[in-house]
Amino acid sequence: MIRLHGIHKSYRTHFGEREVLAGVDCTFHRGEKVGILGRNGAGKTTLLRLIAGVEHPNRGHVERGMSVSWPLGFAGAMHYSITGADNARFIARIYGKPLAETVEYVESFAELGEYYRMPVRTYSSGMMMRLGFALSLAVEFDCYLVDEVIAVGDTRFGERCRQALAERRERSTLLLVSHIPETVRAFCTSAALLSDGRLTRYEDLDEAIAAYRAA
Amino acid sequence: MQVQLRVIGALTLRELGTRFGRDNLGYLWLFLEPALLGGSIGLIHHLIGHGLPGGLDVVTFWVIGYIPYYLLRGVVNRAPSAIVANQSLLYHRQVTLPDIIIARNLLEGAATFGAMVAFLLLFGVVTEEWPRDPALLVLGMGLMLGLAHGLALLIAVGSVYTELFERMVHLVTYLALPVTGAFFMVFWLPTELQRAALWIPTVHLFEMVRAGQYGAQVPTHYDMAYVAGWVACLNLLGMAGLRRARRDLVV
Repeated sequence: MIRLHGIHKSYRTHFGEREVLAGVDCTFHRGEKVGILGRNGAGKTTLLRLIAGVEHPNRGHVERGMSVSWPLGFAGAMHYSITGADNARFIARIYGKPLAETVEYVESFAELGEYYRMPVRTYSSGMMMRLGFALSLAVEFDCYLVDEVIAVGDTRFGERCRQALAERRERSTLLLVSHIPETVRAFCTSAALLSDGRLTRYEDLDEAIAAYRAA
Repeated sequence: MQVQLRVIGALTLRELGTRFGRDNLGYLWLFLEPALLGGSIGLIHHLIGHGLPGGLDVVTFWVIGYIPYYLLRGVVNRAPSAIVANQSLLYHRQVTLPDIIIARNLLEGAATFGAMVAFLLLFGVVTEEWPRDPALLVLGMGLMLGLAHGLALLIAVGSVYTELFERMVHLVTYLALPVTGAFFMVFWLPTELQRAALWIPTVHLFEMVRAGQYGAQVPTHYDMAYVAGWVACLNLLGMAGLRRARRDLVV
C-alpha cells in the first residue's frame, strides 16, 4: 500500500512561488493498476517523483508499504558517462541483486545490441528509455511508476512492456501518468484525475475519462 | 547500515570507472596523479637548491607537505560538482547525498594515501630516513581527509542554493595555499605569528604529518583535540545542511 498524506509541493520560479500540488491525499493498494490523468503541466510527473522519493514534498508525507520503483520515463536513474552494462552492474549492486544475471537480463530485455557496451550518453532517447525500463524490471519492484512516454514509445517495445507488466499483474502495482485516455485504458483498471493541484480517485475507468474530458 | 555500505561501495566503483576509465593506465592514474605532482614539486625545490631550517631533506619536506595539501584541495575543489554530477542517481531512494560525497572522498583519500606510502618507501630506501612515527603520520592524513570531507559537505550544501561556490572554490584554495601550513613549519615563525597560525586547523595537520616523519628531529606544534573539534563541527553541520538541502533539491 502507498499512502499520500496531505502532499503539498511548490517550486520557486522567476515569477514567484508556483504551487503544483495543493494537498493530495490518496491510497493505492497492492495489485491496483491506476491511471493518473491530467493535462500538460497539471503536476503528473511531479506527483510521480514525490511518490518515488526523488524529490520531497514541502508539506505532508508519503508512506510506502512496498518497494516502489523510480519514475520510469526518458531520463534519470542512470549514469550517462558509463555503459549500459555498467549501469546494470551499478543497479545490481545497490539493490543487492546478482551481478551476472542482472547484466544478462537487462541485455536481453533492452535489445540495445552493441550499444549496451557503450556510454549511455551516446544513446537515443528511445534506447535510454528501454534501458531504464529493463533495469527496473531486473530489480523486481512491487510497484512500478510509469510516465506515459514509455507506453507511447516505439510500438514493438511498448508491446513488450505491456506484456512484462501483465506477467506481473497479480503481484505488482502500477501507477501510470498520462494525458491520453487511450493509454490509461490499455494499461489500467481504475483511474484518478489530477487537476488544480488535487487528485480525485474514480473506481470506474469510464467515469474518470468522462470527467477528464469534461474538465 | 548494510545498504549504506553497499551503496557507497557501488558508488566508489562507479566513480573509479568514470574518472579513470579502462583505457591505457586506467586506475593507475588514481595515484600517479598526486605522485607526479608531489614528485615534481619536490624535484623543483631540490634543483633550486636552497636548504631548509633544521637541515631537513628538501625533497622529503616538499613532498610530505604537498601530498596532504593535494588531498585537501582535491576534495574541496570537487565538492561543488558532487551533487550535480550524480543527480540522476538520486532516482534511487537508497542513494543519499552523504553517500555520494563519501564515495568520492574515499577514492581521493585512497589515491593520495597510496602516493604518500610510495614516496615514504622511496625516501626510506634512498635516504634511509624512515617515518619515526608512522601511526601519527597516518592519523594526520586521516584527520586531513575528515576536515576536507566536512568542508566538502558544507560546500555541497551551498552548491544546491547558489553557483557561487562553483565559481569561487578554485580561487580560494589557490589563495589559501600559503596559509594552510603546507610549506612552512610553525617553529620558523616569530612567536606572535605562531599563535595566529595555530588558529588554522590545517597548520596542525601538516605539523602532525611532519612529526610522524621526523619525530623529535625538529620541533613541531599541534593540538590533536583542537583539530578533532573542527572535524566534528564541520561534519555535523555539513550532515545537517545536506538533510535540509535534500528537501529543497530539484532533481
